[in-house]
Amino acid sequence: MARLRRSGLAIALSGTVLAGCASGDTGATEPWDPIETPNRFIFAINRTVDMVAVRPAAVIYRDWVPERAQKGVRNMLDNLGEPVTAVNEVFQGDPGRAATTMARFLVNSTIGLAGLFDVAAMWGMKRTKEDAGITIGMWAGKGVEPENGGFYMVLPLVGPSNIRDATGLMIDYAVDPFQILPIAFNWSWWYTTPRFALNVIDYRSRTMFALDDLEKNSVDYYAALKSAYTQNRAELIRQKREKADTKAELERRDNLALVR
Amino acid sequence: MPLLASRRFSRRYIVASATAMAASLAVPALAAEPAADLISSTATEVIEAMKRTPPGAERAKVMERVLQTKFDLPLMGQFALGQYWSRATPQQQARFLRAAQSAEARAYSERFGQYAGQSLQVGRVVTRNGKYYVASTINQTNGQPIKLEWEVANTANGLRITDIKVEGVSMIQTRRADFTSFVQSHGGDVDALSSELEARATAAASAK
Repeated sequence: MARLRRSGLAIALSGTVLAGCASGDTGATEPWDPIETPNRFIFAINRTVDMVAVRPAAVIYRDWVPERAQKGVRNMLDNLGEPVTAVNEVFQGDPGRAATTMARFLVNSTIGLAGLFDVAAMWGMKRTKEDAGITIGMWAGKGVEPENGGFYMVLPLVGPSNIRDATGLMIDYAVDPFQILPIAFNWSWWYTTPRFALNVIDYRSRTMFALDDLEKNSVDYYAALKSAYTQNRAELIRQKREKADTKAELERRDNLALVR
Repeated sequence: MPLLASRRFSRRYIVASATAMAASLAVPALAAEPAADLISSTATEVIEAMKRTPPGAERAKVMERVLQTKFDLPLMGQFALGQYWSRATPQQQARFLRAAQSAEARAYSERFGQYAGQSLQVGRVVTRNGKYYVASTINQTNGQPIKLEWEVANTANGLRITDIKVEGVSMIQTRRADFTSFVQSHGGDVDALSSELEARATAAASAK
């Protein structure tokens, strides 16, 4: 309860912050970065931790763990994230996709052996991934550009984020049944930590090519990553908004046809 | 007699209207075709270059030629420097363009060195604001297909590529954020950026 209330407050706060900086910019301008110095500091720490611990582990994982095992791990982690995706799809106004996601979850958890095998995909149910940051961005209103996610923040270990996406992370954490249950039953040491660690290493191994390329070919890695992150998130939100607009437009036309 | 005449007239009318319809359908397609062809030919040229030349300085040279002939580098460079372009002298601008060009060529040759054995599929072409946007996907052997969107514009030298968006991330936007941040932290000195880019190019060349 307290967690839900706190996230409700977070949503209200993020609403005011987003409204405050809704300047209707074209998206070609820089992401707003008023706390650049602390951001660069955390960025430097993240990079050090990455160089020392995370990246070597991810390289070993990528090179030494067999491809099938990597796929199994990814399927299992993705499966644990399906409830959160389904909740977000409902709030994005797409209950059909939410139903598919829940069906995927049920099939993969049972027939797919706790998510190890993506059986549902073989049956034609494709995987989708949604998070609350995209949901917020989708409903933020006409005046707020998808690039505008509040000011840019570098989170410790998590990396690039902004007000909208950080709020999204908190909301997702609050509604994730696979976080609520373990905390309620005190499973943290053998569930939460391994899950988090596996998530970090798997995600790092998947993004290694793109991030290495960005780092090597930029003169200011912090600024390049800030721009790339903001654009990527904006694109995801823009696709959602266009789909919603198209759906709304088609519905409008259907309704007009009925009236005529 | 009147019957024959009317039949001939109606046939000519049908043929004429059919041709007109086909022409009107073909015209937008024809306009978009060269843009898609440009992308296909660029991809083919790059793949051939990767096969023929060994990795290193020679490959970067080939990439640079591809960049010069298929991309609109002066326009991209000007955009990438942002507000500092108009404040720079012509010599600074020329030096920056040369340095950025060789840095880009090196970056692309390294990137494509990794992209071995993937195919580029060219898809729809959309026209927006007088520019063509060509959608394409790279099919990886393991993993999800990568979405690429190419922006093609009509320049004085014909159709040229002006931007690539990888999964929604625009190359020149990212470059611009990168370069302007660097120049700003060096007090607005464009030459510092050019020196940095040149240093990286020589470092990479000597490393190979």
